[in-house]
Amino acid sequence: MIVTVLPMTNTGGYEEREVVVRLTDVRKDFGDYAALDGVSLEIGAGESVAVMGPSGSGKSTLLNMVSGLDRPTGGSVVVGGEDLTRLNEKGLALFRRRRIGMIFQFFNLLDDLPALDNIALSGQLVGLKASAARKRALELMGELGIADRKNIYPASLSGGERQRVATARALMNRPSLLLADEPTGALDSRSGDQVMQLLMDLNQLGQTLLIVTHDPRLAAQCARRVIEVADGRIARDSSVNAAVVANGAVVAGVAR
Amino acid sequence: MSAVWRASRAAVKRRRFQTFILGVVVMVSSAMAIATLGLLAAVSGPFDQAYNAAKGAHVVAEFDSSKATAAQIARAANAPGVEAVAGPYPEAVLHSPSETGDHPMGLAGSFTVVGRDRPDTPVDALELSAGRWATGPGEIVLNEPSFIGLLAIKSEHEVVTPDGVQLKVVGYAASASQSAGGWVTPDQARALHSASLQMLYRFKDAGSDSALKAGMAAATKGLPSDALTGTSSYLAIKANLAKGPNTYVPFLTVFGVLGLIVSVLIVGNVVSGAVVSGFRHIGVLKALGFTPNQVTAVYLAMVTTPAVIGCVLGSVIGGLVGKKLVHQAFFGIFGGDLVMDRATVPTWVYPVVLIGMPVLVALSALIPAMRARRLPAAVAISAGGAQQTGRGLAVQRRLGGSRLPRPVSLGLGWPFARPGRTALTLSTVVLGVMTVTMALGLSASVVKFGQMQKQTDKIQVIVDVNDPKWNPPGPTHSDDQLFALLRSLPGAVHVSAEAPAVTRMAGSSGIVRVGVESGDTAELRPDLVRGRWIEGPNEVVVSSEFWHQHKVSLGDTITLDTSDGPQPEKIVGEGVGGWDVTTLDWNRFIPLSMVQRAQSFSVQLAKGTDPQAYATAVARIDPGLEATVNGASDTIEKVIISVVSTLTTMLIIVSSLGVFNTVVLNTRERRKDLGMLKSIGMTPRQVIAMVVTSVAALGAVGGIVGAPLGMLAHRIIIPITGHGTGLDLPDSMLHVWNWPMVALLALSGSVIAALGAYLPARGAAKAPVAEVLRTE
Repeated sequence: MIVTVLPMTNTGGYEEREVVVRLTDVRKDFGDYAALDGVSLEIGAGESVAVMGPSGSGKSTLLNMVSGLDRPTGGSVVVGGEDLTRLNEKGLALFRRRRIGMIFQFFNLLDDLPALDNIALSGQLVGLKASAARKRALELMGELGIADRKNIYPASLSGGERQRVATARALMNRPSLLLADEPTGALDSRSGDQVMQLLMDLNQLGQTLLIVTHDPRLAAQCARRVIEVADGRIARDSSVNAAVVANGAVVAGVAR
Repeated sequence: MSAVWRASRAAVKRRRFQTFILGVVVMVSSAMAIATLGLLAAVSGPFDQAYNAAKGAHVVAEFDSSKATAAQIARAANAPGVEAVAGPYPEAVLHSPSETGDHPMGLAGSFTVVGRDRPDTPVDALELSAGRWATGPGEIVLNEPSFIGLLAIKSEHEVVTPDGVQLKVVGYAASASQSAGGWVTPDQARALHSASLQMLYRFKDAGSDSALKAGMAAATKGLPSDALTGTSSYLAIKANLAKGPNTYVPFLTVFGVLGLIVSVLIVGNVVSGAVVSGFRHIGVLKALGFTPNQVTAVYLAMVTTPAVIGCVLGSVIGGLVGKKLVHQAFFGIFGGDLVMDRATVPTWVYPVVLIGMPVLVALSALIPAMRARRLPAAVAISAGGAQQTGRGLAVQRRLGGSRLPRPVSLGLGWPFARPGRTALTLSTVVLGVMTVTMALGLSASVVKFGQMQKQTDKIQVIVDVNDPKWNPPGPTHSDDQLFALLRSLPGAVHVSAEAPAVTRMAGSSGIVRVGVESGDTAELRPDLVRGRWIEGPNEVVVSSEFWHQHKVSLGDTITLDTSDGPQPEKIVGEGVGGWDVTTLDWNRFIPLSMVQRAQSFSVQLAKGTDPQAYATAVARIDPGLEATVNGASDTIEKVIISVVSTLTTMLIIVSSLGVFNTVVLNTRERRKDLGMLKSIGMTPRQVIAMVVTSVAALGAVGGIVGAPLGMLAHRIIIPITGHGTGLDLPDSMLHVWNWPMVALLALSGSVIAALGAYLPARGAAKAPVAEVLRTE
């Protein structure tokens, strides 16, 4: 289902966008502890959103809800028009393989497959033949500048290269939503910069991004919107002027 | 290639060694399953086929021709339940017939001759393997195993009856029913003073003794009650043949079952370990979009692939070994030539094992694979590895307060961290120790059985007397002279003589093998299962096989044909093996033996006498004597011991591999802990001590539990093996244990555990700290 909304732009104007993610009053309890407590938000197509907050604030739980890796205790999660709370485990798996791509802090590559096969595996899951999946994977590797590393196993790749392979794997099935959980958290600054640039480029090409991060630089550079989470609630939802970065801290132009 | 196949192949690659272990375990189990099933099938399958093809008689019956006429017997046989008959044929018994010619076959002392006009009868169809059928007076066809029949007929070969009638051997034929020693024309049989009529029956229901008795009751209805003088059943021939495979079946079955259980445990352990240590892997698969079924399939394919490869290889090996074993099982058994060519591992065994084993493996893997399926993706991907439970830590804390060295106390806590894995590993060790114990007991019992059979404790030298017809030169002295000469040699204490003879027993149409003994038999007598040794004339000791076949008891009297005619013989004891009947009535039975003199002497030597020197001295007193030192193992003993040793070695390796697998999983899970401990100063030796301790304790428990279980299994298997081979075994066969041996066996659990743990422990000790901590 396509919904037209009017999210704020970082220039303070309004823009019509298709809603990719809609969370309505989402709650997630772990025993007595509420990791998410009535979270509602919408993310439009082509947006790049950073979720920030201290450890234990509920950022990763929020990401798990959107990715369908976990189920909410209450509320609804609609991604790409699909209500994830109504899907069974198989439905969630099919949703993940077709609709989203995920990038993790520690890459989560399969150690026993070379880079090319790590990427192609996602394509094979949606029914591509092995040869077609490899062809597409190789194109992505070329675009990300790691084509010469196609036969290298993850253990022999640098951190930046591993994250590029993970990114290529996430993009393999042309997801409507790219989720990144601390994508630069395990990288040195140079590799981190490369990944940040990559995410920015993807967003420029229209890729919807949802990034969970502690890194204000990453949020400032890659996101147009920052959602701050504290104690399982959205504490602030603001646009950010990525151009303004001083002394390593984000100076956000708060428009709300 | 599908995504599932690709992911499972990657998982297999990551666990190369565990995959290899799995493949080897399944291979060994499959090979054992094929060999065992092959032997089980060989017990009846080939015999039934061969016997039916030869239209073998279900019952061979003898009638007193003075009590019932041929016409009466034939008429009575026209009864419901009777499928086919052949006869009645006139039958004569020749006492101690002799042979002429250079190559005598060696006829039984009590030789049955049947008058048949043709070989191709509806029952007991005979196939001539050489020569032609007897068509005129003075001709005879001998019943010989088919391979002997391949020899050319010797023109000068004749059978001479005690009355001097000469019967020229014109052919050889083999009777599956063992219905006669030779066949002549009916007129010739009558001319040989035939007093009996032989009738051969096949029944529609011939599955049991009772069915055969019922069939015979119907087929002899209306005949005078004393007309039927003896019968022999094909089930006795079948039971005799089954002795060969039955020697191997019980322990192969036990080893096979143990192998299967160990396989299941190891598969369960490998897949559980893969799931537990592969939380992150499962999480990644789920995050990529693998459905729960696909995740299950990845983990099932991971073990099924090596299982299939192992199963195929195992089936090939099992087929080769099984075929050899099946052939070997029938070798040397009376009537074995009937089935030897047909006996092989049946075709149906292969698909059963090729499908059954991988299915069993997949089922063993299903529970942990289902755990992977149910694991929430978010939990899996965030956990990254197995969570260490508090139990192990709590035990380690408590042990930390003890005086034990710290690596030992830390290692002792490991088993409590993963109770499921500990239980599987413990079970593997228990089975390993149980196997070692059982195998040791079996080997000891087999050796003891051999010693008992050969009486190695009483008889030190066996002196064989050459038969000049077969093995010239013959002896130059008489039996009495040889007794005196052997006794006169330095060191000789007791000497006994033995000669085999063949006779017949009233009420049975089959032959009875008699061991005729003389000399110091009381001192050199064999161990008996029950009863006592022979003390006077008309007393006999019978073998276990005879005991069961004829269902006799102590004190029963049987009537045996002797050179003086039928004689009552009282059964006073049961021996383990040997001849059907053992007698000291030398004069009455020796005429029924082939050479009518002693064939061997047994000599007991004084302590300190060199048996080899005595044997050498024997060669000097008569060129017709061949002396050997009594003691070397029999072929069958060697085969059993080597098969048991091979299977035991395999299962010890498999058990050690099970422990190895557990330690690999444990050390992989604890890489970070190990790295941290090393970073704060734990030496490689201490790491090894910690890791080995973690399973040595399990090994000790496994030894204490496994050793008694192995002893129990030995106690169960030995009598079953004895029963399967038609033997009653004395209790002394079970008394093979002593305390030091039991203590060593209990310790073997720790040895198995230490063997399995050492390599991964050394690997953990060698892992570079920086790398371990960095990768975490």
